[in-house]
Amino acid sequence: MIKLLNAGFTRLRKNKLFWLLTVFSFGLALFMIYTQYSDMKKFGRVIEVEQLMLNYSTIVGIAIAIFTSLFLGVEYSDGAIRNKISIGHKRTNIYLSNLIIVTITSLFSYIVFLVIVASIGIPLFGTITLPISKLLMLLGCIFVTIIAYTGIFTFLAMIISNKTITAVVSIMLAFGMMMNAMICFNKLEAPKTIQQASIVNGETKIKEVPNPRYLSEDKRKIYQIMVDINPAGQMFQIAGRTAPNLKVLPIYSLGVLVISTGVGLILFKKKELK
Amino acid sequence: MEIVLETNNLEKKYKDFRALNHTNIHIEKGAIYGLIGKNGAGKTTLIRIICGLQEPTNGGYIIYGKSNNSNDIISARKRMGAIIETPSIYGEMTARDNLIEQYKLVGMPSLDGIDDLLKLVGLENTGKKKAKNFSLGMKQRLGIATALANNPDFLILDEPINGLDPQGIIEIRELILKLNKEKRITILISSHYLDELSKIATHYGFLDNGSIIQEITSEELMKKMEHKLILKVSNQKEFVKYFEENKISYDVVDNKTINVYGKYNLSKFINELSKKNLIADEVHEQEESLENYYMNLIGGGNND
Repeated sequence: MIKLLNAGFTRLRKNKLFWLLTVFSFGLALFMIYTQYSDMKKFGRVIEVEQLMLNYSTIVGIAIAIFTSLFLGVEYSDGAIRNKISIGHKRTNIYLSNLIIVTITSLFSYIVFLVIVASIGIPLFGTITLPISKLLMLLGCIFVTIIAYTGIFTFLAMIISNKTITAVVSIMLAFGMMMNAMICFNKLEAPKTIQQASIVNGETKIKEVPNPRYLSEDKRKIYQIMVDINPAGQMFQIAGRTAPNLKVLPIYSLGVLVISTGVGLILFKKKELK
Repeated sequence: MEIVLETNNLEKKYKDFRALNHTNIHIEKGAIYGLIGKNGAGKTTLIRIICGLQEPTNGGYIIYGKSNNSNDIISARKRMGAIIETPSIYGEMTARDNLIEQYKLVGMPSLDGIDDLLKLVGLENTGKKKAKNFSLGMKQRLGIATALANNPDFLILDEPINGLDPQGIIEIRELILKLNKEKRITILISSHYLDELSKIATHYGFLDNGSIIQEITSEELMKKMEHKLILKVSNQKEFVKYFEENKISYDVVDNKTINVYGKYNLSKFINELSKKNLIADEVHEQEESLENYYMNLIGGGNND
């Protein structure tokens, strides 16, 4: 395992995609600071630097999908997995080392973003107002959700042998998870009652009526669980600080990681390689 | 003689297609084993299984005394290097970076041997050129260099000369001979280029429809292919006695056929025999190529 990690990180350091991801995180942080600073100057808005720190979480899934599928896709397209197995590395170790490498890279990408936002944002917008323990908890949840994302995308990259298909499926899944989360939020946020206008004797009357789109208690629970399990749903809740039960999110994330990695390992160990 | 690789009734089925069918091969230490078979004969499937990329449906194999069903097979694989179909190299990296990567993968304590390895395969002057921009021959040589990073005792090369130009073929051939002679590496090389294999192999395994139909040493094969006279005789014992007394190389094929090896003047030879009252019913002269031998072995064009 150590040899695989050593070789993997050596490749990572020389990998263009890794540096692109790092530059993207850096650039995104600068872009967010610039746009918020402009808003502050133009409209006198108060900018919370802690909110900026959380914002990358909503799109980090797409960045991880692209990086993981292309970085690990090369393992198949350039014959690296074949090579690793034929020189005596266990399939379990190959899978786990790849998971560790993309996880550390994804976390590193977020940390680069945080460092830039904190080092430039705090002098510009003022200090963090949120209690540090609360901010650390939110960031901790983001980090655990990033691990869930890497678990899912590593699973796809290790099971699908074609780099292009892996990339397409991963990116579509990343967007699909975001769409699914938005649809669920839309349903969850539907008001209990809506106003209904009616004309009685030529007079318009407005009255509150039950919203037919309002979810029943059972359905609300199901939709809430769906957004809690979905890493994109978790990220939206963390970034928006709207999670009804923040502490449960890392448990779901670890569940996603364990299941995706467990199933991935079983399938990868049985996979017939060419 | 130590056996490096042995397969026992190896079988591989893909749904209804049987890619390997009770395949048995035996590779001795120090050999260059030429695995010969037409496209689709099962060469690559056999190599994929030996390298652990696929599992056999039935049967098994032993590498350096370690069975494929034991956990020790991993340690046996650490003594191997392989190129399966295409070389396993990162196109975005230089030759040196590819070797650094491989050195780390195999856990070499230092990177000191990389220059020697690059020199061995003739890639010491490629500088910052990325592997994806290499010619096919250069890629193959880099693939061989990466396969040599762990100083393997056993090297597996699947179709290493496919698509190479004549110069590239010569370079790979010389490299293989050098590795076998100087580094004492046992080599399994699969190919359907028979002439090329005949220049390097010390042993042959003829694979057809997933089965090894013959294993033979190059000496035995050369003997079978050398110039020969095929005699159809009725008094076989007397012919054999004469050949033994005169130290003439021969083979009894069946109770009416004897092969006599070596270059003889046909009329003089028949004349000599007739002096001893040895009259052959028929005499045919034959010199066989490896292609002919292989085609006869697999049953001619019927198998195509």
